[in-house]
Order: sequence, then structure tokens, then C-alpha cells
Amino acid sequence: MTCEEFERVLPELGDGHTFEQEAHLRSCSACSDLVADLNAISQQARLLQDSEDPSPWVWNSIEVALRQEGLIRQPHLEHPRTPAPLLGWKLRWLVPAAAMFLVAFGVLKFQRGTGQPRVAEQQPPPVGVETAGLQPMAGEDLQLLKTVGERMPSMRAEYEANLQSVNAYIRDAEQSAHSDPNDEVAQQYLRNAYQQKAMVYEMALDRSLP
Amino acid sequence: MCRKQRAAIFAVVILVLVAFAAAETTRKEMHFKVGRRASVSIVNAYGPISVKPGPGKRVVVTAILYSDKVEVDQSNRGHRVSVFSHLLDGASPETGRVDYEVVVPADANVTLHSTTGPLHVEKLHSDMILEGSGAVVDVRDVSSGHVQIKTLNGPVTVTNVSDGHVDITSVSGDVALNTVNGSVVHVNSNSGKIHYDGDFGDSGDYSLTTHSGDIEAIAPAYASIEVVARSVQGRVENDFPLQPEHTSFAPRAGSTFAGTMGEAASSVKLLSFSGKIHLKKR
Repeated sequence: MTCEEFERVLPELGDGHTFEQEAHLRSCSACSDLVADLNAISQQARLLQDSEDPSPWVWNSIEVALRQEGLIRQPHLEHPRTPAPLLGWKLRWLVPAAAMFLVAFGVLKFQRGTGQPRVAEQQPPPVGVETAGLQPMAGEDLQLLKTVGERMPSMRAEYEANLQSVNAYIRDAEQSAHSDPNDEVAQQYLRNAYQQKAMVYEMALDRSLP
Repeated sequence: MCRKQRAAIFAVVILVLVAFAAAETTRKEMHFKVGRRASVSIVNAYGPISVKPGPGKRVVVTAILYSDKVEVDQSNRGHRVSVFSHLLDGASPETGRVDYEVVVPADANVTLHSTTGPLHVEKLHSDMILEGSGAVVDVRDVSSGHVQIKTLNGPVTVTNVSDGHVDITSVSGDVALNTVNGSVVHVNSNSGKIHYDGDFGDSGDYSLTTHSGDIEAIAPAYASIEVVARSVQGRVENDFPLQPEHTSFAPRAGSTFAGTMGEAASSVKLLSFSGKIHLKKR
């Protein structure tokens, strides 16, 4: 049996292996390591508790983004707030994915918006005016701070200050790009600002740290 | 009480405290045999991680634990070594602290995470990822690798990097690059200052960007660069006689400058939103 053949039957493998599979596992360290890793992941997944599931803000953010994109139309997307434990580990990848999705969505949303006329009340004030004062935070940010506060209370103030800085950067970068949509440097500011925001979310939700 | 007596009492108190502190710590040493370009990952909730090169194909991790509220777990599969601090119920930044000293082969790729740091890496020729929200980060004497650093407010110092690919993102930590060159050197900061002191190499792409932090770049007269500097609301200063060149944005005196020096071998972008930018001659 070759590695390719073994990988084809891998998804169907249960606890028992055929003689041929056993022989291959004995002779191939790569495949036996792979099986050992998968078994370890499977065992750890069973131990995961509900608390390991993505927090509700992730679901809410995805829902809002999907609705704004027109991909879903129902006023309320019913999703389990506490999915079954068995599914929990499978969905954990959604946490960083959601952060990246929100950042990409923000950039795309902005880039689409630059070519369209805006209503008067949406006109931004002059560049840089808002940076002097603190702005109210969006729901996702507040949810993130709540999560940070629960997991590591001593870090909450630090995350709040950094989120305020990043949001101020995003506002300034957006206004700068609005005033000249063809300005490459303004686009660069915007990308950098969103990259910083993604990093803050990534660090706050990194479960390998407290 | 005379001065000598007070000094003696003070010394005794210090000794007792030191002895007490020493008794509270536990030392754990782990040895791993690895091959070429091994991968070493250390995740530490609280406390420093220091990585240095050592002889042979061995990884040696020394951990000092400050209480029984934290354990050190390890795994070694193939040439991958993972060591992480496992916090137990009730652990605090003080009781959950672990100090790591790590010796790796010089070609080992390392990944370090610590909330508080500091994180220190020296004399490696490999890829490295260092992350820590408040961690002080210090990387020195490395070459031929991808250096990725992320902090929220931890200051970053990178010294003597050659032929590197350097990516640094920090929100409010200051970033200092001394004698750093390579194919790509990107720093993305928000309110932290960026200080670069080097010659910008001979074929690199350098981008130093902040929101409100100041940027200071110091280069020798022989630097070979194509430079663009712009601050939307801050001021820019330039000490070099640049050959003017066309830019994608309208030049404004005092807030932008662009041009070339020498053969313009490296591209240098100094961009800030409201910070001050200064390209200084060494």
C-alpha cells in the first residue's frame, strides 16, 4: 500500500485497521505520525467544554456581515449560542477566520463605497478632527473587551486603549482615502490600520494565552 | 541602633527574602534531539523567553516555575518541539510566571508567545515569530530568515539583521531598527515611534508606517535609495540632496518629499498620518 492509497482510506479509518494498513503504518513514519496526530486531536476535541466555543460576538459579526452583503435575508439568523460540544472543536477555526473576514469585508466595503455618492449626514468631518477625542466603540469591540475582561481582567484597559488607537487610525485613513480614492498611500494607511485591528483581535482571542 | 547594626539587619532580611524566593521556584530542564531546521515553539502566559544558539542538533529548554499554579507541558514529534506553560486554577501573573531559557540549533525556526515577555532571540539563521501584547521584544544578530514580530504596546528592538525579511506590527510600542537590512523590511505602527539606523541595504523594500508616531531614519551619505516620505498632518524633514522624481501624489512642501540617491537600489517609504518624519544624514 502506498501513502497515497492510505490517505484515500484515511477518512474511513476507525479504531481497527486492516492487515495491509497496519503493515503500511509500521513501515511509514509519516503516515503513522499523521494518524497519531489525528487521534490526539480527536481525543482533545472530546475534552473541550462549551466555554471553548467561539463567543456570541463572532456569530453576530458574521451574521451582520452576511446580511450587509445580501447573502442572507432573514431578520434573525437562528444559530445555536452554545453549539453541541462535539461540534465545538470543529468550529474554533472560525475565530481567526471571522476576524480576517471582518477586516477583508471592511476594506472591500470601503473600496466599493469610494466610487458612490454619499448622503449628507454620512459625509465625514475634516480629516483628523476625530482623533483628538475618544469615540464610542462598535458592538464587536465592546464584545471583544468583555471577553478580554473575563479572561484576563488586568489586560482590559490595555486592549481598550489600543482598540481606540486603531479605530482612530481607521477613521483617519478612511477619510483620507475618501478625499482622494486614487491615492495609493491613503490605501496603504487603510490596509495598515485594518491589519492592526486584525492583530488586536487575534491576540485577544488567542486561546493559547490567558 | 547604630548604622552597623541596621546594615546587618537589612542584610539578614534580604538574605531571608532571597532564600524564601529561591525556595518558591522550581527548575525544570528538558532536552530534545532534533534534525536540520527544527521547529521550536514556546508559549508562555507570563514571563520571559530567551533563545540562543547552541552546538549540535539539540534543543535544551530550562524553565523556572514560580509556583505550583503553573505546569510546563512539552511535546516532541519529529523535529517539532513544543513547550507551553499550563496555567492552573487561580494562577495570576505572579504565580503563573515561568522564565524560559532555550538553546536551539542556529538553523531552528522558533515561535515565541508571551503576554508579558520579555522575548529575546539572538544569533539564529532561521525564521522566527515573536508575539506578545505587552512584551518587550529584542532580536539581534540574525540573518537569512523571516522575522515576524507583533506587539500591542511592547517596545521592539531589532539589531544587526542581514539578508532578512522583517515584518513588525505594533500598535503603541516604539520600534527601533539598528543595522537592519534585507529584501523586505516592513514596520506598521500606530502611535509608537519608529527609529531606523542603517544603510537600507542594496536591493530591499523598506516601508516604515505610523498613524501618529514619529519616524526617524538615519542613513549614511552613501545610501542607495529611492525614497518617498509623506505625512498627511505632520511635518517631514530631509537632510539629503535627493534627485527629484515623479510620485503618485501631489508634492506639498513640508509634508512630502521624494527622490533618489545613488543608484536607488532600495525602495524606502516613510509614511505617517500625523507623525513627524525625519530622514537624517549620519
